[in-house]
Amino acid sequence: MDRAGNSKRGPAGPTLFRQIATRLAGFTLLFALLDVGIVVLTYSSQPESLAQELLTLEASKAQGSTALTPDLLTGPPGAEHWAARLIEPAAGESPPWSSRAGAPGGVLMDWTRRERIPGGYRISGVRSVQQGGQQRWLFMQFEGDGIRPYVPVIANEIVQHVALPLIPLSLLLLLFNVFAVRRVLGPLQRAEAEVDALDPDNVLLRLSEAPEPREVNTLVRAVNRALTRLDQTMAILRGFTANAAHELRTPLSIMQLSLDKLPPSAVRDDLQADTQHMARLVGQMLDLAQADALAVEPDVLVDLADIGRDIVAAMAPKAFAAQRDLRFEAIGDTRALGHAEAIYRIYRNLIDNALAHAPGDTPIEVTAGPGPQLSVRDHGPGIADEDLPHIFERFWRKDRRKSDGAGLGLGIVQRLAEAHGGAITASNSPGDGALFQVTFAPPEPGR
Amino acid sequence: MRLLLVEDNARLASLIREGLDRQGFALDWCETVAGAEHALAINAYDLMLLDLGLPDGEGLDLVRGLRRRQDTMPILVLTARGGLDDRVLGLDAGADDYLVKPFQIPELAARCRALLRRPGASLGTELCAGNVTLHSAERSVKVAGEPVVATPREVNLLECLLRRTGHVVAKPALEGALYSMDADVTPNALEACVSRLRKRLTAAGADVQIRTVHGVGYALFAPLGAHG
Repeated sequence: MDRAGNSKRGPAGPTLFRQIATRLAGFTLLFALLDVGIVVLTYSSQPESLAQELLTLEASKAQGSTALTPDLLTGPPGAEHWAARLIEPAAGESPPWSSRAGAPGGVLMDWTRRERIPGGYRISGVRSVQQGGQQRWLFMQFEGDGIRPYVPVIANEIVQHVALPLIPLSLLLLLFNVFAVRRVLGPLQRAEAEVDALDPDNVLLRLSEAPEPREVNTLVRAVNRALTRLDQTMAILRGFTANAAHELRTPLSIMQLSLDKLPPSAVRDDLQADTQHMARLVGQMLDLAQADALAVEPDVLVDLADIGRDIVAAMAPKAFAAQRDLRFEAIGDTRALGHAEAIYRIYRNLIDNALAHAPGDTPIEVTAGPGPQLSVRDHGPGIADEDLPHIFERFWRKDRRKSDGAGLGLGIVQRLAEAHGGAITASNSPGDGALFQVTFAPPEPGR
Repeated sequence: MRLLLVEDNARLASLIREGLDRQGFALDWCETVAGAEHALAINAYDLMLLDLGLPDGEGLDLVRGLRRRQDTMPILVLTARGGLDDRVLGLDAGADDYLVKPFQIPELAARCRALLRRPGASLGTELCAGNVTLHSAERSVKVAGEPVVATPREVNLLECLLRRTGHVVAKPALEGALYSMDADVTPNALEACVSRLRKRLTAAGADVQIRTVHGVGYALFAPLGAHG
């Protein structure tokens, strides 16, 4: 039973993987922007190298182009003047504008010149290109103004230096993130499974400590410390019931025995009945506190039939004195996992309940089995339909004036059954009377 | 018959003493474990009534010490501790019975009598309930002073029930006492024996009752108001 009534699934927030992935993507983007800014800044402070890059880019366009004459090239955007032509070094021609081609034999080399002209700048230069498997030289001259002609160059630089390295790196990081998060959170998931398996009735259970990561380790240890404190609270509660029992029961004994010494009178009888009622109430409240704190060892095997015979033997004199007949029957295998004294009290409270409700001269049938279950059946008026939802409520009584109990007996039975991982059902048995059945965990196979 | 009461609450002790005195028991009282050990060293007691939480120690330690010394004196634990494991702990330590406070004197007296009747305890050879008397050495039964003829097996059965008057004696225990191991016991043999004993006692005018607890065993009840 889910006592707290809360579902296992909490509010579905973003997973840690998603959070890390989002942050990683954000950082990658920020880094890319920073990188772009650095590229733009660097080149804007170095117009010479920009000019070089511009001509190299145009030359590579010419090399890739199928146009036969370089004049057909469009040139950089925003060019006010653009000229390009091929030079045949074999012609031995030494162009007049080639001031830097002073090498002997007329060997051409790449060069770039940038000069200021009114209303802008002029860039001229030569690049070696491969066309049709043949090395040729391309002369280019260009006039322009402002940053616009450089845009393709800068864009190219960004692709080369920012996008190409960053995109695969980001993808690799995301992929790594999947594995890393899964691996790192493994101990956390195991801890979650262990916390789910925690049973409030099973003390001394702790989460197993994973040595790493340290964060999970500290969390697990904090949870374990909290569990230790809970255990201590339970121990204090148990200690309290023992102490309260002693403190209440000894004065009650003195009261009862003192009353017995009084000369017989109606007042004495009333007081005796009152103290007996009080003793019963104290006993039941302590039983309930003990039932609430009961920890059932999961591996103790008991025989429901043996316990049933014991309790029927113990209660038969009381039943006979009240003109009732108590019968016991064991059917089949009656072994179960449980706490013998707790099961004894389950029987006792159910028989007490039957004694209180069944009329005289009717049998009360106590049965163990078949299997890990017990039942107590009486031949009284049964349980009214409107009472059925209430009979296990603590302090509930059908008729407060008539009953001398505290209304805790069946609540104790239910709590004891739950502590065993079992359940109690109440119904009207076929024919007449009430039937209470309690089921327990069966012994493990092979035992 | 001498009883030792170990109880640290003086008022409760004096009430128990008076109550049991009226029931015909002689009672010595001490308040502590040390006092109890001293009393046990000086006198021989037939039964000890023992409270558990004592000022100078744990009552159960006293029980364990006695049992270690092979002392078989019956011990009835009187305690306020009614926890789920307390009774088992007490019996495991070697106590013979366990009575949770508050209790009433007739109940306490009945438990004392049951313990004193147990084999091993020093007790008289006469077992009585109501007007029925069984002489355990002579194997004779009398109802209201008149001898009643019964088979040895029926006398054995009556003795078992008388030793536990007011309590249910389980069938296996009765069968073990009545039939030897190799004897072929039919399921109805015990039932028939009980039935014959019942008829004999009724015919002789006995005021005790032998009741069947179906599925468990049999119990002999003395008439209400009589003890013994």
